[in-house]
Amino acid sequence: MERETLDVDVLIVGAGPAGLSAALRLAQLRKAAGEALSIAVLEKAREAGAHMLSGAVLDPSSLRDLVPDFEARGAPLATPVREDRVYFLTPNGKLRFPFTPPPLTNHGHYIISLNKFVKWLAVLVESEGIDLFTGFAGADLLMDGERILGVRSGDRGVGKHGERKASFESGVDIHAKVTIFADGVRGNLTKELMRRLELADADHPQLFAIGIKELWEVPADRVAAGTVIHTMGYPMRVEEFGGGFIYAMPEGRLSVGFVAGLDYQDPIFDPHVAFNHFKRHPLVRGLLEGGQMVRYGAKALPEGGWYAIPRCYADGALIVGDAAGFMNSMRLKGIHLAMRSGMLAAETAFEAIRAGDTSTARLHQFETKVDEGPIRRELYPVRNVHQAFEYGLLAGLAYSAFSLVTGGWWFRPMRAQPGHARMKTLAEFYGRSGRAVPGEATNAIKPDRRLTFDKLTNVHYSGTRHEEDQPVHLLVHTDVCHSICTEEYGNPCQRFCPASVYEMVAADGGGKRLQINASNCVHCKTCDIMDPYQVITWVPPEGGGGPQYDGM
Amino acid sequence: MILVIAEQRDGKLNRASWETIAAAQQLASGQPIAVVLPGSGVGSVATELSAAQVKEIVTIDHAALEPYTPDGYTAALQPAIEQLSPTMVLLPHTYQTRDFAPTLAARMDRALITDVTAIKNVGGDAAFVRPMYQGKLAADVVPLGPGPHFITFQIGAFRADQAAKGSAAAPVRPLNISVDAAAIREKPDAPFQEVRQAVDLSQAERIVAVGRGIKGQEHLPLAQQLADALGAELAASRPICDSGWLPMERQIGSSGQTVAPKLYLALGISGAIQHVVGMKGSRTIVAINKDADAPIFEVADYGIAGDLFEMVPAIVAELRK
Repeated sequence: MERETLDVDVLIVGAGPAGLSAALRLAQLRKAAGEALSIAVLEKAREAGAHMLSGAVLDPSSLRDLVPDFEARGAPLATPVREDRVYFLTPNGKLRFPFTPPPLTNHGHYIISLNKFVKWLAVLVESEGIDLFTGFAGADLLMDGERILGVRSGDRGVGKHGERKASFESGVDIHAKVTIFADGVRGNLTKELMRRLELADADHPQLFAIGIKELWEVPADRVAAGTVIHTMGYPMRVEEFGGGFIYAMPEGRLSVGFVAGLDYQDPIFDPHVAFNHFKRHPLVRGLLEGGQMVRYGAKALPEGGWYAIPRCYADGALIVGDAAGFMNSMRLKGIHLAMRSGMLAAETAFEAIRAGDTSTARLHQFETKVDEGPIRRELYPVRNVHQAFEYGLLAGLAYSAFSLVTGGWWFRPMRAQPGHARMKTLAEFYGRSGRAVPGEATNAIKPDRRLTFDKLTNVHYSGTRHEEDQPVHLLVHTDVCHSICTEEYGNPCQRFCPASVYEMVAADGGGKRLQINASNCVHCKTCDIMDPYQVITWVPPEGGGGPQYDGM
Repeated sequence: MILVIAEQRDGKLNRASWETIAAAQQLASGQPIAVVLPGSGVGSVATELSAAQVKEIVTIDHAALEPYTPDGYTAALQPAIEQLSPTMVLLPHTYQTRDFAPTLAARMDRALITDVTAIKNVGGDAAFVRPMYQGKLAADVVPLGPGPHFITFQIGAFRADQAAKGSAAAPVRPLNISVDAAAIREKPDAPFQEVRQAVDLSQAERIVAVGRGIKGQEHLPLAQQLADALGAELAASRPICDSGWLPMERQIGSSGQTVAPKLYLALGISGAIQHVVGMKGSRTIVAINKDADAPIFEVADYGIAGDLFEMVPAIVAELRK
């Protein structure tokens, strides 16, 4: 089949903070050197920023280096952090930490909407004359042996059963000297690249968490703008990793969210249920009551830290941002590291292209830059922290304190197993009968539709839309679902998915079958990560589909 | 003066134009209303529109306006609006309007308020109510800056049958506008219908909609009987269409059609917000659902908490008497 092709010097897959920082840095280097360099950015969302979800508190260190005059250029950083509060929650009470643990001190940082921030970055990038192809997902890697030639964008106008509709347009092959993969947490292309080139270290798999967030509008006098609240404890049990956050912006806008480690053992656990319990806690309920939920979203995040970062360079390719796992789980921050990694990748790629050598050996310089710069300085001292939480909350907290003193030392790099492998079967977790008796935290509540919502209602507020007539973009080997998974785990996909994509429904002729409501998908990637049999593969739906995270 | 831009295709008037005339009449308070009708060979549509209680119907009849192109419409409407110099330009929020109105407003550097559902009076100024956040909030928007302001009205927000008719036919006046056909960059193909024999539920006066409560495809004839007895169209919530029990074009809701019939009868529909946003504008909503706590009862005018398999045959029997 004839395909259109496009040749560029650098292709960036993903217009998030990492990808756009890479693009902007390349534009700066191009200008300074007075050289021609063609740059293209692919983004699956209809517009830049639409799929961006984060808490978010921004450490502006990388931004300051990338756009020194960011204030004059109108960066949307409306809310400097004024106060940090950390609580340990019990079912009805709270215990405030007498001091804020150093990693959670946010003095000098800003509460931002990542959606607005990325939109702003996209405008800067486009004003440098860089082509931002929004609405185009990277669907396949183009490789020649071990060399990455570029990326093929997804076809459009394909019907439910794979047939070509009147609107069919085939994807475009984009060839680049260097492809920078910034496709986000569990990016579909990075996942494939890591598999083909064996870039990950089996002893230190990436560990993930899922973040669920709502944007609320409450009476403006509830909580002062600039207040940052983090919680630990309830509703998570001691062996589970997770906690809540509340960030106050001006005019009574609150970011309210909950992060749950995707390494829980209880197959009945449901992160969305935990989020609802968190909102019903007196501390949170008191802030939200009488307000309105206006937006919802969910996204996985890489929590594994330093040791979980794969090899981020290959022949003609670099991996940056969340796709690589540049995130500090102890500070709950990754935007500045994503930006920094994008900037360093841009510098590496630019120098390599000038030297006419974009081989693995040359692009290895990216790792050197990471090792010699602020990324390692920040991540290495907390290299074992998340892994320590595998031993429970108390062990994790104890080790966190210990690492602050010792600079993260432990006898050896703490190993971990992938999160999905830690999930226990119903029989293992609930005893021989295998009958799940949910604890208070996992006990689904009936949403009151004011403070708490069911997933489907929440999905509506994510603004998610997909072309309806297209193939299902969640590839599942459904043979295991109604048989072995129902018996062993009770179909946990119905619970870990925060958007009601997976549903076991009555099958014709008795029994149950898996129904995939693909158009509810908010692109969080949790299913691809957490499915205990690893039979779910997330691939990008037709470009432009997905959530619309305005203001998130 | 208030200007309404009517929409026609192949000599057939889009019903939503009457809704916009109704909105204009509510807004007018003494101001004259003129209706502009662009197209080619629009004489009979102009006659149809002249029944409205308005000052005049202004036609822009030009070969370059057939078929519709955003360039052609923008090129024709800008000089027409400048010539008529209205205070406001009102349009139905159709796909066609969405295509050219932003260009037109931007070209003239005037304010555009889209998808308006109601008109309010805020301190003497007309404020336009439009949904935000998927309908969770409604914003009252007052246009600022020099006129004319462009306003588009959501389909079903005003009722076509409430557009006042004049005692005598309004005069029809052709406006001579030259459109440079060579400046039209778009070359549209013939419109294609993705789904053959598509039903346009937005035109239905009565709808019987089924949801998961119908349990199986084999029970659909029961709902069809009720629809037949009422002279209604059959529609469904998402799970029914997802299962392939009814074609996708009969799906009501955020990923299907938005409807506002006189009667909406919901059978076994829980009332997920995705469905409700597609039917909450219905004049009378009747819901039958087993679960008395189902959210559908929050929007229903009449609710029956009961088994549809008992209720529906009884209603059908009663209707057939």
